[in-house]
Amino acid sequence: MKKRIIVTIGAAASLVVLTIGMTAGVAHAQRGATPPRAPAAPTASAYNGPRTPDRKPDLNGIWQVLGTAHWNIEAHSASEGVPAGFSVVEGGSIPYQPWALAKRNENFQNRLMADPLRKCYLPGVPRAMYLPFPFEITQMPSHMLFAYEFAHATRTIFLDSTPHMEDLDFWMGDSRGKWDGDTLVVDTVSLGDKTWFDGAGNFHSDALKIVERFTPTDATHITYEATIDDAKVFTRPWKMSMIIYRRLEKSLELLEYECAEHVYEKLFKGRGGKP
Amino acid sequence: MRSSITVAAPLLVVLVFPAIAGAQSGRGAAPAAPASYPPYTRPVSTFVPPRTTDGQPDISGLYVAIPLPRGIETPLVPITNRPNRANSEFSYSLNERPKLPEGAIARPVGVDPPDGKIPLTPEALARRKEIIANQEKIEYLDGRVLCLAPGIPRTTIPAPVVGYQILQKPGYVVIFYEQSHLYRTIPLDGRPPLDPNIRKAMGVSRGHWEGNVLVVEVTNFTNNLSNNWVIGAISATPGVPAESLTTGHGIPHSDQYRVTERYTPIDANTIHYEARIEDPKVFTQPWTIAFYAFARAPKNYVPVEYACFEGNDKNLLLMTNTDITGIRVAVP
Repeated sequence: MKKRIIVTIGAAASLVVLTIGMTAGVAHAQRGATPPRAPAAPTASAYNGPRTPDRKPDLNGIWQVLGTAHWNIEAHSASEGVPAGFSVVEGGSIPYQPWALAKRNENFQNRLMADPLRKCYLPGVPRAMYLPFPFEITQMPSHMLFAYEFAHATRTIFLDSTPHMEDLDFWMGDSRGKWDGDTLVVDTVSLGDKTWFDGAGNFHSDALKIVERFTPTDATHITYEATIDDAKVFTRPWKMSMIIYRRLEKSLELLEYECAEHVYEKLFKGRGGKP
Repeated sequence: MRSSITVAAPLLVVLVFPAIAGAQSGRGAAPAAPASYPPYTRPVSTFVPPRTTDGQPDISGLYVAIPLPRGIETPLVPITNRPNRANSEFSYSLNERPKLPEGAIARPVGVDPPDGKIPLTPEALARRKEIIANQEKIEYLDGRVLCLAPGIPRTTIPAPVVGYQILQKPGYVVIFYEQSHLYRTIPLDGRPPLDPNIRKAMGVSRGHWEGNVLVVEVTNFTNNLSNNWVIGAISATPGVPAESLTTGHGIPHSDQYRVTERYTPIDANTIHYEARIEDPKVFTQPWTIAFYAFARAPKNYVPVEYACFEGNDKNLLLMTNTDITGIRVAVP
């Protein structure tokens, strides 16, 4: 008796999904207040680096955050395989609600199995920004495209004033941005509740909303700030900040960290699955 | 007894058009004689695209795949008319189907050699038959079903996830694929290929413009799992010979595998695609596929996240009785 398995990659849902998103703008406007933002930048900007034809700071190229936020966004001593690091959180620690702090501590205890990255899931936002891997920006007047070396994650940031798709969850969220002088301001929603901020169990709920500010200070540095708003988990919105560095090596290009391959390598070990 | 299980690959939102899933079964008839088609000639395009600020022919924008009419993946497979099933003559369904440019003929994708057969060596053909015969085992399963990156040219062969964003910045063409959030950055500065020790599932791309045609050499492909299949179409189809392109299962490749792609803008809406495939360890000669690949997307089309691997553990459990939920890998 022969059993044949026919597999179809069934994924044409996109078109259906999209129409749902179209009506989401109204809902967005009615959701609670957005996190407080810094006052509008003064007209004179410190940025003196290259610009695109539409006079925006030219962020095309390969970038990377240095530091240890990927392992723990709060201050921490070194542990096996983890370098010690400063907190990137404004004020030092994350303003968890009491139940959430207990949950974070439990996550920390279980982190080697529970960190979603160790299952090769997409890292989400803002964690994608400070993984120990480079990422590449492709800048268009209407979009910013981020390509991450880790697990070929991507983000498309729409700059075309289109509304969020809010009734769906995306691992990498739904990002809409605009230029505020020389600062790129990005609102991200619809992130779901499955990603962590780091490998130390810092987490959020599906109510997470993020406002990121990318402020290039010269041709090779961007000050990155992310305001985290999640009323289900935190007592107030809070902010993390760090520097994104341009990678200057000649002829640099993104390589690959195909995380899923390593899952299968483990699975196939001893099973004759080699080519 | 045959049981068919059609599995929708993982999506954040699982919405599947039944027409996609349904079209695969019941095609076991003996192949008819190949239809006769005129010999393939590379399309000559008189269309002159506008220029980008750095002088590249500007082909940027959002495209969707032009579906291949069923049966033309290879002339070895007869076209089966099944009028009672919507869209069954095409390899997948779309609400608004992109059209071929005027005067274009739908013809077999395999254009060289002209018989449409993949020139597999006897060893490679035997290996492929073994793979096709063992599809209930995960180590033989199509890499795309495992959510591995499909490589080149497979990422360009129409699949149900159809959005392609072509972006151009000074010195580069960048392609974002809706399928599995894949991307390629193609440098145009004539730099040499990378060290052969560096391998990528999507290969390492080097491009240049020949007039208005984007030519890309792709090398350095990964070959670390038996499931890394860089060529193939959508699904295994019963009754299709193993020399054909139709099934996605198990056209092997070696460390010598390389592809030369040609993207030809035919008009403001259409890009024709040609891929010449070489691998002296697997194929007895280079071979070529060609088809009208991309059409400008409808105005309201927005690509969305296709998180393939994230939702796949239940599928693998169902299909192959393999539980991957407990596997954790060390991430840097």
